[in-house]
Amino acid sequence: MEWLIWLIPLLPFIGFVLNVFVIRRERAAGLVASGLVVASFVVAVLAIAALSGLPEEERRIMSVSWHWINTGALQVPFGIMLDPLTAVMVLLVTGVGALIHVYSIGYMHGDPRVVRYFAYLNLFITMMLFLVMGNNMLILFLGWEGVGLCSFLLIGFWFERAEASDAAVKAFVVNRIGDAAFILGMLAIYASFGTLNFYEVSVGGQVQPGFLERVPEIIGQTIGPVWQPIALTTAISFLLLIGATGKSAQFPLFVWLPDAMAGPTPVSALIHAATMVTGGVYMMTRNEALFAASPTTQSWVLWIGVLTAFIAGTSAIAQWDIKRVLAYSTVSQLGFMVAACGMGAYVAAIFHLLTHGIFKALLFLGAGSVIHGTHETQDMRKMGGLRHAMPTTYWTYLVGAGALAGIVPLAGFWSKDEILAHALSHDHWPQLIILFLTSLITAFYMGRQVALIFFGQQRDSHYHAHESGRVMTVPLIALAIGAIIGGAINLPWGHWLTDWLKPVLHEEAGKFNLALALIATAGAVGASYLGWWIYTRNAAKIKVGGKDPAYRYSGDIWDGLEEAWYFDRLYRRIIVRPFQRLGSFLASVFDPQGIDGLVLGVGVLFGQAGEQVRRFQSGYVRTYALIFTAGVVIVLGFVLLFTR
Amino acid sequence: METLPILSLILWLPTLGALGLLLAPRDNAELARRMALIVALLTFVVSLALPFGYRATPGDASTMRFVENLPWLPMFGASYSLGVDGVSLWLVLLTTFLLPIVILSTWDSVHTQVRNFQILMLLLATAMIGVFISLDLLLFYIFWEFTLIPMTLLIGIWGGSNRIYAARKFFLYTFSGSVLMLVAIIGLYVLHRDALAIGQPGYTGTFNFTTILANLRGGALQLDATIERLLFGAFFLAFAIKVPLWPFHTWLPDAHVEAPTAGSVILAGVLLKLGSYGLIRFNLTLFPEASRWAAPAIAILAVIGIIYGAIVAFAQSDMKKLVAYSSVSHMGFIVLGIFALNHEGVSGAILQSINHGLSTGALFLIVGVLYERRHTREMAEYGGIWKVMPVYGGITLLVTLSSAGLPGLNGFIGEYTIMQGAFLAPELSWPFLGFAVLGVVLAAVYLLRMYQTVFMGDLRNPENQDLNDLNPRELTTLAALCLPIIALGLYPAFAFEPMQASVGEVLTGIATAVAGR
Repeated sequence: MEWLIWLIPLLPFIGFVLNVFVIRRERAAGLVASGLVVASFVVAVLAIAALSGLPEEERRIMSVSWHWINTGALQVPFGIMLDPLTAVMVLLVTGVGALIHVYSIGYMHGDPRVVRYFAYLNLFITMMLFLVMGNNMLILFLGWEGVGLCSFLLIGFWFERAEASDAAVKAFVVNRIGDAAFILGMLAIYASFGTLNFYEVSVGGQVQPGFLERVPEIIGQTIGPVWQPIALTTAISFLLLIGATGKSAQFPLFVWLPDAMAGPTPVSALIHAATMVTGGVYMMTRNEALFAASPTTQSWVLWIGVLTAFIAGTSAIAQWDIKRVLAYSTVSQLGFMVAACGMGAYVAAIFHLLTHGIFKALLFLGAGSVIHGTHETQDMRKMGGLRHAMPTTYWTYLVGAGALAGIVPLAGFWSKDEILAHALSHDHWPQLIILFLTSLITAFYMGRQVALIFFGQQRDSHYHAHESGRVMTVPLIALAIGAIIGGAINLPWGHWLTDWLKPVLHEEAGKFNLALALIATAGAVGASYLGWWIYTRNAAKIKVGGKDPAYRYSGDIWDGLEEAWYFDRLYRRIIVRPFQRLGSFLASVFDPQGIDGLVLGVGVLFGQAGEQVRRFQSGYVRTYALIFTAGVVIVLGFVLLFTR
Repeated sequence: METLPILSLILWLPTLGALGLLLAPRDNAELARRMALIVALLTFVVSLALPFGYRATPGDASTMRFVENLPWLPMFGASYSLGVDGVSLWLVLLTTFLLPIVILSTWDSVHTQVRNFQILMLLLATAMIGVFISLDLLLFYIFWEFTLIPMTLLIGIWGGSNRIYAARKFFLYTFSGSVLMLVAIIGLYVLHRDALAIGQPGYTGTFNFTTILANLRGGALQLDATIERLLFGAFFLAFAIKVPLWPFHTWLPDAHVEAPTAGSVILAGVLLKLGSYGLIRFNLTLFPEASRWAAPAIAILAVIGIIYGAIVAFAQSDMKKLVAYSSVSHMGFIVLGIFALNHEGVSGAILQSINHGLSTGALFLIVGVLYERRHTREMAEYGGIWKVMPVYGGITLLVTLSSAGLPGLNGFIGEYTIMQGAFLAPELSWPFLGFAVLGVVLAAVYLLRMYQTVFMGDLRNPENQDLNDLNPRELTTLAALCLPIIALGLYPAFAFEPMQASVGEVLTGIATAVAGR
């Protein structure tokens, strides 16, 4: 039984190995890669069926294969587990992952490096599974950095393009900033609890409790010799929060995600919308016990989520690139999830994570289909009127947009409503207002995007738009169905997800607030209609390379939104450039002239001393005789005077 | 096992090979390379007996195994005594593993006076192994100094345009540190002889490490706190220069830039580890009180080195110089681990010594591959190489990530264990680690910048259009290095296991010092 769960990450890994070392043909690569992910999905379903057969309190299958790190007191097993929280994540990763693999067969057709593409994709699935299945923080971190690596490889897949390679490095480095904090957090967890395991593990007959179960023990303890009396949980959870802001693209580290759109579109769907970027939310949910123990950190989490949602939402309005709209929208939606974590509404966060994973993957794949059908066009100013040429894409995209905007009864409505309702019922008024405003903005920019892509006239006639093939439209339809019915997993009346997650998160289902739901729906419909109406009415004013119609009224603010509040520019000025200057100062001045100058100075000193001493070696016997005599006198004098 | 002097065999096989090469015709390069390779492989195979034969359990009186003991200069009490324990085991193996790889790489990188090159390389191997397995202070010192001679010649004869300067700097800098160590060794010898002569008149003294240590711990030889700190300082300076610890690092970039590829690999792979090995074997073991006294200050230097090395590496345009400064950063981690003075820190430092030898050695080989093709190491000359050299690009990425500390590869295990150790050390903990983790970020910054500049982007430079991917020989050397990089990343427990008892033994003095405080 236990060995079964190893198959889940192992199958995609086999695909990775095969694609790296054995397979050389495109067709085989796509089939093997997709087939193994589908197989992994099937195994996951079987394992979860077995899991649900267990009594509620025992729903955790754990399997340790070997000692990973084992020195002194530091013991870290290489182990994975399957519990209700992991289960839903595994289903999302393998399910959406499989669809995107299939879609990629069509999208990447003819690319010269397609075999490598599928290898990376399989490695990504493996690492993502380790992230969600790890039974300790270090395995989670293995997956965490592993998906970061795959993200690097896939963003930079077309590495010949300068913007792709820049974006790849940027993504990795920005994530590393969060990871450094994550490492520090792990060090502190180990130092305080003596283990990195989440839950109890029995090693050789000894049962050792995990750190999540021991959180109550350390409340009130202090950190370090000096920093008294800050509670340890605040320090640890805050460090983990920084880690999450990197991976889940939150303020202030969100700048890498929009650039990451330089990668192939299925990658954006899989990694930068549905799965990897939700890693931070998963991690915070998993460590719920730690976060809940620190109200200070929780309010930071909440505000970071709220601010990110708003900043990214407003930035999404002003984008022209079809993928960048979705990218900012993803950042914004992740902000909703993080805010939910901050409020303590972890089930709502996971619910939104799941529905968002489905409908955002749908939107990205739809965008990919549009890009594919318009011969690599990404600028929405060059599109328009595509609903006739690409009907399937259009309808499925409409479903995705509606789900994102939060229109009843699509999946996004239920999950977003749950977050807002929780904010309302727990009196987070300022946050509620900002989040509600953001959801209106969301609806608005989706209306704008649909209008720009699918309505009006085609504004650039250099291409002939066509619908994509079956291998791409079938995943679209499957995801669209998911986006329609996905909300059913946690309806206010059934709350199946809340019950399923109860062994892990111990949460009661929130109350459904009809007034809020009505207002939210009315707002969503109104705002998306407004967006759609403005940009179909003014379609004639949109020119290739021109300004947005709204630019007339908002002026520079629009520029600011388009540049995402100038965060990139700020970082370049206050971090990147000073760092480069410091580097070149140290490398070209301080090191050679300062430190090495000292070293060489010592050398010169000895050289000069040698010059002086050499004068005595004049070759004149009388000088030597004089020195010799003086020496004898001194030594004799010393002996006679002092050593009696 | 008891009858076969296996350590002597490993130690002297390379020298025998060097003597054999002297008989070979001077200008038959191919023959010289093959002979050297065979000798190196043979040494490696023999050395494989060490991890398989090594058994030690915590609580053993001594964890030294394969011990050999012969009188050498009885009037001074110097002996030919060898032994290997969990601290030196993997370092010996690293040396014997890198030797055939380095010799294999000379087919592509050494084209003049091939025979002499191989002779020096084999002599160097004997000296390095000797340092790791000597249990006699005088013998240790002789091997220690003898490593300088072949290395200086390797840089000075086969090096780049500024080789004489670099070779002289290398020699003088490291030598001046070692001289103080000689004084300390003699001082320790005299103190030990005089202390024991009280009980047994006419005692001639000994240079034997195990005996001196036993008497230190047993209380027969008691060091005054000031004397202990002075001795500690003299040993420390020699090792700190070798490591090199900031601010004693400036010989390293010069030496690396001028050294031939094979020389750089050995220099970074093994020679720097003589320093970290010495710190563990002598400073920590012999002078526990002084170690505790100096640890925070040294840890500060280590953390400065981690960050400083990384920032300077970022600003380099020459790939070899970049890798050289990255060594300063990485070795800072190792010193930090050692002076965490606990089990995790020290065993992490030993493992990281191995890891650094593998991944930095591989990085120097990688730079050498490009250098042989284009005769430049300026990053700006390249760009988009991944397209024409896909296998090379893939292997380089793996090695780069190992060096940057990606989980699942060896570098992370070492770094994490070191950081955990340093975090658990009450004197270090938060403030030190708060800075040290910056090294993790910066490592990604400078290494990926190099990778991006060289391998990604457009293939602009026309001279790079027809670069050939790795030839079978290059592939063999790099693949051989990649295997342990992955193995140590996924299953480091097998490397940690034999260390346990010996690291515990190293730290007993410190544990007593803590308890007695």
